[in-house]
Amino acid sequence: MAQNPDELRKLGQRLDEAQKRHAVRDTGPPPTQLGIAGRFSTELVAAVVVGGGLGWGIDWLLGHFGYHTKPVFMLVFFVLGAAAGIRNVVRAASELNAAMAAEDDKEN
Amino acid sequence: MELNPMEQFTVKPLVPLHLAGYDVSFTNQSLLMVTVVAAAAAFLTFAVKPGRLVPTRGQSMAEASYEFVANMIHSSTGEDGLKFFPFVFSLFMFVLLANFFGMVPWSFTITSQIAVTFALACLVVLTVIVVGFAKHGIGFLKLFVPHAPAPLLLLLVPIEVISFLTRPISLSVRLFANMLAGHTMLAVFGGFVVALGAAGGALSLLSIAPMLLIVAIMLLELLVAFLQAYVFAILTCIYLNEALHLHDAH
Repeated sequence: MAQNPDELRKLGQRLDEAQKRHAVRDTGPPPTQLGIAGRFSTELVAAVVVGGGLGWGIDWLLGHFGYHTKPVFMLVFFVLGAAAGIRNVVRAASELNAAMAAEDDKEN
Repeated sequence: MELNPMEQFTVKPLVPLHLAGYDVSFTNQSLLMVTVVAAAAAFLTFAVKPGRLVPTRGQSMAEASYEFVANMIHSSTGEDGLKFFPFVFSLFMFVLLANFFGMVPWSFTITSQIAVTFALACLVVLTVIVVGFAKHGIGFLKLFVPHAPAPLLLLLVPIEVISFLTRPISLSVRLFANMLAGHTMLAVFGGFVVALGAAGGALSLLSIAPMLLIVAIMLLELLVAFLQAYVFAILTCIYLNEALHLHDAH
């Protein structure tokens, strides 16, 4: 069976195109609205909890050494935690933006 | 009649066992974990066994999951992230199959236990810390120092540290809360079906409505089961990327 080199080249091109389409599809599911909301809220709440907990722990530890700082560190770290939460949400949002921009680039 | 929607999450000992004062009983939780690991190992081993050029259905499922995770790692961490393929792939398959096995009636959802998801999340974050220090030495701590004037760093470094410490919590709570909420919702609507059915008369006919809703929620839960496994894996990749490349990504 003799093969026409032109036909083979066309087949090669078609294979390349198919592979490109395949690559775009394989980057994972697009995030759902609910998924995004869930991600942002957990990031925010978790940071406040961690911050407050950390401050409480420091107060508790210092209390054992005879320094009665309660509740100064908890209050300070609660605010720091809230800031960290916002930092988390901003970071998550920029990751999402980057992912969406990459997706658009591939499609165009 | 048991109508408590939270009853499904109770860990019950199947084989009571006590070692040195600790309760190490083999529970429904342990049974499902063993099942999930065995199912994942068996599926991935036997599906690719024939090694055909034109894959069978099973083989193509195994290959698709392999490619899916490999692409995910490659696109979020780059070439050198592929070293962590076994780690991310195991995590992904474990969470995915655990979520799917939880969908089987009368089974048990191990990812609805915070102990399980928190352990997995700690594993991820500890890996990130070990990799970061192994790759950059003490320079890994630069992760906590953003580009800012020195006086501001006094405020920003604690914020970055807290932000880092948030990761195991947000990673584990997200998976745990999604599974817990979904399965509770299913049980609550299941309770409606029973209650309406037992009410008798015209009300019994109404019980078909929550029944249909359960079917819809079931489908949604299948999507959530996959999405949460995906989110867990992709966040692992993102965290690994930071450990590997520090601030390069920004």
